Amino acid sequence: MKQRVILILGTLALLLTAGLASFRHFNADGEYSSDQFLMDTLVSIKVYGKNPDTLKAAVAKAYAEMRRIAELADSFPEPGTAAARSSDVCRINAQAGKGPVRVDGDILGMLVLAKKYCELSDGAFDVTVGPLMDLWGFGGKNPHLPPADRIASTLARVDSKDLVLNQQEGTVFLRRAGMKLDLGAVAKGYATEKALQVLKNHGIEKALIDAGGNIRVLGRNTHDAPWRIGIKDPRKSDAIVAVLQMEDASAVTSADYYRGFEAGGKRYHHILDPRTGYPAGQNMSVTVVTRDAGLADILSTVFFVLPPEKAMAMAGKMTGVELVLVTADRRILHTPSLRGTVQVQPESGYRYDQGR
Amino acid sequence: MTRGDKFLLAGLLLFSLLSAGALYGRWLLPQDQKKAMRAVVTVQGKVVRRIDLASGARSSFVVDGRVGSSTVEVDGARVRMLEAPCAGGICVKQSWIAHPGQSVVCIPGEILIRIEGAAPLDAVSR
Repeated sequence: MKQRVILILGTLALLLTAGLASFRHFNADGEYSSDQFLMDTLVSIKVYGKNPDTLKAAVAKAYAEMRRIAELADSFPEPGTAAARSSDVCRINAQAGKGPVRVDGDILGMLVLAKKYCELSDGAFDVTVGPLMDLWGFGGKNPHLPPADRIASTLARVDSKDLVLNQQEGTVFLRRAGMKLDLGAVAKGYATEKALQVLKNHGIEKALIDAGGNIRVLGRNTHDAPWRIGIKDPRKSDAIVAVLQMEDASAVTSADYYRGFEAGGKRYHHILDPRTGYPAGQNMSVTVVTRDAGLADILSTVFFVLPPEKAMAMAGKMTGVELVLVTADRRILHTPSLRGTVQVQPESGYRYDQGR
Repeated sequence: MTRGDKFLLAGLLLFSLLSAGALYGRWLLPQDQKKAMRAVVTVQGKVVRRIDLASGARSSFVVDGRVGSSTVEVDGARVRMLEAPCAGGICVKQSWIAHPGQSVVCIPGEILIRIEGAAPLDAVSR
């Protein structure tokens, strides 16, 4: 009798496990992934769900939304193209010193956010940095070191106090002639967040958007675990300095290893300190982890330009904003609440004191 | 309980354990192994070539991108962009890739070479 009970229980356990395994196998979400070249980078979107048609349609809509924002925010379209005609940023720049321009709500939204963090960082971040970017040639093919007096005179045309935003009228005005907006540190993150909202509106619960290294995730990954997002080693290709575990969050990195050039034995990169006119030099790489990818994009530039200790202090005062820094003197720092969700790779060769 | 019953019971338990392993262990999920070591080359989002990286063969071929012709070189399990028509040449400087999830991207040419398969990370922030 006893043996029979054991046998029956054993059989039941087997059937239950096998049943669960096959349920999970046949009920597993399908994956749909796609890559498109957008905003001068590669944007990869991966989504998971039961209905392949819904996935495909949602991803197409998400790309369309990113493309729309890219066109509104493009500072360097070829003249005469559709991009030049539909760029709000080009129209604002063309009207600098002349008059206000009525713009799309998303451009106004980006500028309101940008101006707020310009003020909060005492000018360490400024979307009116356009004239300086042009002087250094970072928008074009041949960046170069400008003469010091040109940098000083160009700095006079960089100041968000002369960026007038009228939210009632929906207009933007650059008060002085020669001023120029550059949304390079804003638009990609903002567009990424909008694309994610499109996916969500289509009922998608699991997604990853990788917009040239700006990462936004929704839900959990295909193994039903938090997404594992690496942070690139700023000095070694194909190496990472840390791994983040993320759910419904974004990770955006600003670093010194892009769009640089060498002059007189010194390397110059494209993230300029709008207060000095020269590339910011105290950090190699700054990664911001927060829910909204638009905010993450702006903050990654703000914190990159600030000295490490100031950046950590500012991040510490904000809720839901985490920070991983690789400083120019080869230290890795992160905000205390990331302890447990960030794994710093010990072999990376940077100094790390267990999360300050 | 006969000897046969005991064997049967032991067999059932073992099978249950294996099923549980398949259920909770990602190493047994078939989707991770299916795409082992293959690279895919796309131009403007369209697949132009699939490369078997398990064969160990050496080859090179030309890809027509948006700004001209680029040359892709395959050497066994690794692949790289050998030549590109653009001024920057970021994709050429990047050199070989050999691990699942890695990619070479040519932005002006809109060319993407990506190694498929289960990557240890879902993405890299950079």
